[in-house]
Amino acid sequence: MRYLIPEVVVAGGALLALLAIVLVPKAKSLGSWIVLLALLAAGIDAATMWHVTASLFMSNTLAIDQYSILVTELVLLAGVSSLLLAWDADRFGDEFPVLLALSVLGMMALGAAANLMVIFIGIELLSLPLYILAASSRTQAGGEAALKYLLLGAFSSGILLFGMALLYGATSTLSFVAYPSITSANTWLLWPGLALVLVGISFKLAIVPFHMWVPDVYEGSPTPVTNLMAFGTKVGAAVILLRLLAFGFYTQDGSWGTLIGYLAVLTMIVGNLLALPQMSLKRLLGYSGIGHAGFLLVGIATHSVEGAEAMMFYLLPYGLAVMAVFGVLRLIEGNGDEVTVGDLKGMAYRRPWLAAVLIVGMLSFAGIPLTGGFVGKFFLLQAALFASQPGLAVGIVVGTLVGLFAYLRPLQTMFQRTEPSEKVQKVRWTVASVVVLTVAVVGTIGLGVYPEPFVHIVSHSADFYWLTGG
Amino acid sequence: MLWIVLLGIPLVGAFFVLSVKDSAAKTTAAVVAALEVLAFVAFLVGPKPTLDLNWISTWGIRFHLSADGLALFLLGLTAVMTLVAILASKPEYGRTYFFWILFMEFASMGLFGAVDLFLFYVFWEVVLIPVFFLLTGWSGVKGRVAALKWLIMNLFGSLFMLIGVVAVAVIYQENTGHFSFEISHLTHLAIAPAAQPWIFGCFALAFAIKAPLWPFHGWMPDAYGESPAPVTALVAGVLSKFGVFGFLRVMLPIFAPEMARYETGLLIWVAAGLVYGAFMAVRQKDMKMVTAYASLSHLSMIALGIFSLTAAGILGATFLMVAHGLMVGGLFLILGVVEEKVGHRQFSGLMGLNQGAPRLATYFMFFALAVLGLPGLPGFAGEYMIIQGLVVHEVVFAVIAGVIMVLAAWYMLRLFQGIMQGRPDAPAVADLSRGQVAWLIPVALLVVLIGVWPAGITSHAVPSLFHAVHFVAEQGGIN
Repeated sequence: MRYLIPEVVVAGGALLALLAIVLVPKAKSLGSWIVLLALLAAGIDAATMWHVTASLFMSNTLAIDQYSILVTELVLLAGVSSLLLAWDADRFGDEFPVLLALSVLGMMALGAAANLMVIFIGIELLSLPLYILAASSRTQAGGEAALKYLLLGAFSSGILLFGMALLYGATSTLSFVAYPSITSANTWLLWPGLALVLVGISFKLAIVPFHMWVPDVYEGSPTPVTNLMAFGTKVGAAVILLRLLAFGFYTQDGSWGTLIGYLAVLTMIVGNLLALPQMSLKRLLGYSGIGHAGFLLVGIATHSVEGAEAMMFYLLPYGLAVMAVFGVLRLIEGNGDEVTVGDLKGMAYRRPWLAAVLIVGMLSFAGIPLTGGFVGKFFLLQAALFASQPGLAVGIVVGTLVGLFAYLRPLQTMFQRTEPSEKVQKVRWTVASVVVLTVAVVGTIGLGVYPEPFVHIVSHSADFYWLTGG
Repeated sequence: MLWIVLLGIPLVGAFFVLSVKDSAAKTTAAVVAALEVLAFVAFLVGPKPTLDLNWISTWGIRFHLSADGLALFLLGLTAVMTLVAILASKPEYGRTYFFWILFMEFASMGLFGAVDLFLFYVFWEVVLIPVFFLLTGWSGVKGRVAALKWLIMNLFGSLFMLIGVVAVAVIYQENTGHFSFEISHLTHLAIAPAAQPWIFGCFALAFAIKAPLWPFHGWMPDAYGESPAPVTALVAGVLSKFGVFGFLRVMLPIFAPEMARYETGLLIWVAAGLVYGAFMAVRQKDMKMVTAYASLSHLSMIALGIFSLTAAGILGATFLMVAHGLMVGGLFLILGVVEEKVGHRQFSGLMGLNQGAPRLATYFMFFALAVLGLPGLPGFAGEYMIIQGLVVHEVVFAVIAGVIMVLAAWYMLRLFQGIMQGRPDAPAVADLSRGQVAWLIPVALLVVLIGVWPAGITSHAVPSLFHAVHFVAEQGGIN
């Protein structure tokens, strides 16, 4: 059970924090400290078991390999950044760190899932705390967002579960890693089942046409929670989609590869296109997150080791850019929840460092060289062309170009020579946000200037195509 | 080591400028740019080392910089023009402005030195960012639109080029079993016939947009018109060379057979741009636009020289790239001074500025004559070599180029007359200040120098060039 320690530490941290809130109600930030330490400890522990031999545990329900470890590190990064972004605000409530840790635990489970039931548990564990967190600002918009998220989330969970039931009916097992060896599956149940599971995961990943909930939920939720949704949820949903298709259905790639390819192109273009007219920065980022989900799908659609590596690589620069941009938003919004593009006026002259962070984040989203986003796009293009799918490559280019307009508009607004908005003038740096922004900027530029180490890491983590069965 | 200095000075200097006060920014930036010129001089007179480091070894990407005869003087052009542009800038632009100028210098130096295709692409795209922010923050009323047009159009080309870059590398990997982005390795690729025009087109599109070559110049009028004169001088003088340099550096080695096969089509295309640019220049009423379209026409002339695929033509193109940078850059800087003095850019009426500003008129005349190709000045030498290259086996295009040289005299003299000559009673304006003369003189002297001594540049370029042309011939192309 050595390999479950990170999960246990996070779960234990959440429970301990819950106790602390009840027993020592006066120590406001005690819960946050406990969760922060638990997340960091889990991260360190996960890192020490990097050289694990990939294998299945607990009656073939969990797969512990470099893939799951990398996912653990990514979602812990998402969790820590969200926690730090919410650090000084009392208004999110004492239970904030507890729920956050549980949600992160769900994401970690998704990284290691080798069984349909674990997928479902992971997705529910990820989502349920987020439904509550979405409303934690206790505003009307937050309530609306939470309700919308809850209803659509429950709906998609139902579809997911139904699909899993069909898959079980077709194969008589929930262990999807065993599917390739089953030759007598009932295809009348198998394909509808897989389709429904894909729909369920697509909701979480926000793939067009299952993306409708994203902008409203992103806009209404508090910024730290949005950060967790944009980074952590996307990581969790993307990696489980890849794991499910690559482990369970790799022998039938012809049936889903093309479909995922079309969805990828559609998502890249539509997501970025819808980001164009947005005035609220969070909505803009919501749509851009949809577009980025499309880029992630490209890696899956190529159905190759390069594609899997490229997708795993893309997650980190994407997440770091999310941290940078939401970190800046968090500083600008103060005690509100809403930042529009117009609020950025004059920021480049009044708050040059904050503007610099936003520039780095946005340029990484846009995939400009010297940022991690560029290397990610390059990696994906390479995977697409190696798989002889120039259509996907053109899709990446078109999606990037459309998205560019959306990312450039806030940057241009920052350079307007007008009196800065009140929000920009009142910005107050906090230690926690400086940590988040520093990690995000250094990481983004580091990945752009010297990506070799991380390329090396993902090349190990995605080396699982030939691990099948148990 | 010298490469680290060449790239390090502008990069570190840029961030240093960002940390000083706004009032000291211009001086600091000028010192940094002057150091860079010194570093280039050291590079020019001393040995020319290369820098070759492992970068992303998984994909065979190397941080490989080298200056052959083609790139050497473009590096010098970048260093000199950046210094002059900084001296010509207003101190009140502030430190961020000078940061972006120096950052642009860093990216330009890197681009001209890169011999690894990935590295080339990185600098190619990075250089877009400083111009975007300079246009956004420090230009005229339509600056934001101009900035968007600049970035979107250029990235449109660049991203297709990225597909091309990756495609070339993938083909290389499939041919040989390992990765490399080294341009000299990527020759002799076995590209599937069906893919050839597409990959070729991906590169050509990016280069044509950046130059710009007709009909991909949509961003040019706004960007040249709206940006402050020093930025226009850098974009027209230095950045416009990227496109034509790309044809030389990237396409000639990698796509030599395709270049030879499509030669006639390419020549017709750029000849059309040559004629278009010249006629547009003749009918402009805005003085910056005259120069902008003149520049477009000259860039087509350079491309004509490259596509002639002869030693003389390519040599002329290499030479004209450097000369054009100095001449057009200088002319845009002078137009900036004129605009500042009269407050607008129209020259429909005879403005008669030479009454009160004889020095201004003299320098203006000098640069105008250089651009129109007066013998003795470098424009003539470059165009002569290009026409010589074309005469060998593409006489029609040689004739077109010759005719357009006459048109150049028309639009340049029209510009000069409109601004400088006219009524004796025209209101007098102040002449050039000593400071302005101080930065104009070095540019003028350099123009004269390479005009009377083209061999200074061509003798360096010839060895690299014969290699390139020989290669084309060996590929079953021409001659």
